[in-house]
Amino acid sequence: MPKEKFWRNSALVKPYALVKNLPHYKNLKIIFYITMLFLYFAIVLIPPALCSSREEAESAIQSAENTVLNCYKAVFEAEKAGADVSSLLQVLNEASWLLSRARVAYNNGDFNSAYKYATNCTQMLDGRVDEANSLKLEAENARRMDFLVNYVGSSVGAVAIVVGGYAFWVFLKRRGKTVEA
Amino acid sequence: MRITEYGLIYWTVVGVLALLVASPFLSRVLVYPRTEFFTELWILDENHRAENYPYNITRGQNYTIYLGIGNRLGYCAYYMVRVKFRNQSQPAPTSFGPIESRLPSSLPSLFNMTAFVADEQVLEIPITFSFNYTWDEQFSKVELCGLRLNGVWLNMSKCTLSWDADKKAFRGFLFFELWLYNADTNSFKYHGRFVGLWFNMTVSV
Repeated sequence: MPKEKFWRNSALVKPYALVKNLPHYKNLKIIFYITMLFLYFAIVLIPPALCSSREEAESAIQSAENTVLNCYKAVFEAEKAGADVSSLLQVLNEASWLLSRARVAYNNGDFNSAYKYATNCTQMLDGRVDEANSLKLEAENARRMDFLVNYVGSSVGAVAIVVGGYAFWVFLKRRGKTVEA
Repeated sequence: MRITEYGLIYWTVVGVLALLVASPFLSRVLVYPRTEFFTELWILDENHRAENYPYNITRGQNYTIYLGIGNRLGYCAYYMVRVKFRNQSQPAPTSFGPIESRLPSSLPSLFNMTAFVADEQVLEIPITFSFNYTWDEQFSKVELCGLRLNGVWLNMSKCTLSWDADKKAFRGFLFFELWLYNADTNSFKYHGRFVGLWFNMTVSV
């Protein structure tokens, strides 16, 4: 079969056939090929994450805001219990910077960047609430121990020394009287 | 030898010993309670000093300053720093009088930075910025296009600076308002503090 005839008969190459039917419009042919090529690369190469809509970006920012707030509340409680939260605060500050960038990107209409920053923020804080809670528990245990040793132990010890000292003093006095007698 | 003759020495020794043992308890009980709760806010130049703040601004050139926040509130605080810019005629925030009656500037913020600072701790945020603006020679004014702050491009297209004949400069004020998160209302409230720098936007004739 001649090559020309094959192309015309083949159902698989209909777009090509369409172009072939328009031999006089060479510019149209070129535009057609470029469009097809562009569509192909657009579908294959652009990842789905870069196609965020306004709603997705807004939702991601809202989620990140809630995560930041929950993490802050957990850190707040941990610090109140006496835990060292400096490393957690550093992470929180880094994450909140990403959230700030997400808000700016969203206001500028760059929803892809907004979504990306907000998602990164949420990921950065993943598991930090649990970490803060465990720090809080540790701090509470340490505080209990501190109370036992420094409040109870210390005050009871001081009272024991005074009472013991008095008892020993009475004992020495009685012993002295006995020796004199 | 009578023991009663050494009573004073004996009880002094017992008293000192009792005080020594009770010292951890006393050190916690006999502490004067904190009565002043506040936040410190400051700006330092690029050398961490209060000396060479940028004033004469060249278009597109980077400048670095440090914004410091010191938390003395008695708890881990969640702050928001609102970055704003105004010319001489636009409203400024207030930072005098009772904190409750102080007001923020009504201008929209260009950028909001949040900061978490533990009690009795200090957070210093390096801020690198540059301005992009054009000079309208005909009307003798500077039209600001944008501000790049720590790599983030911020649109300032609505801001213009007119010529200040007294200071002989196109003067603009970049300032940082401090807001504090209130857990009861679940929102940020102006914390009655701001710091800022006046700039002269230089133009090449």
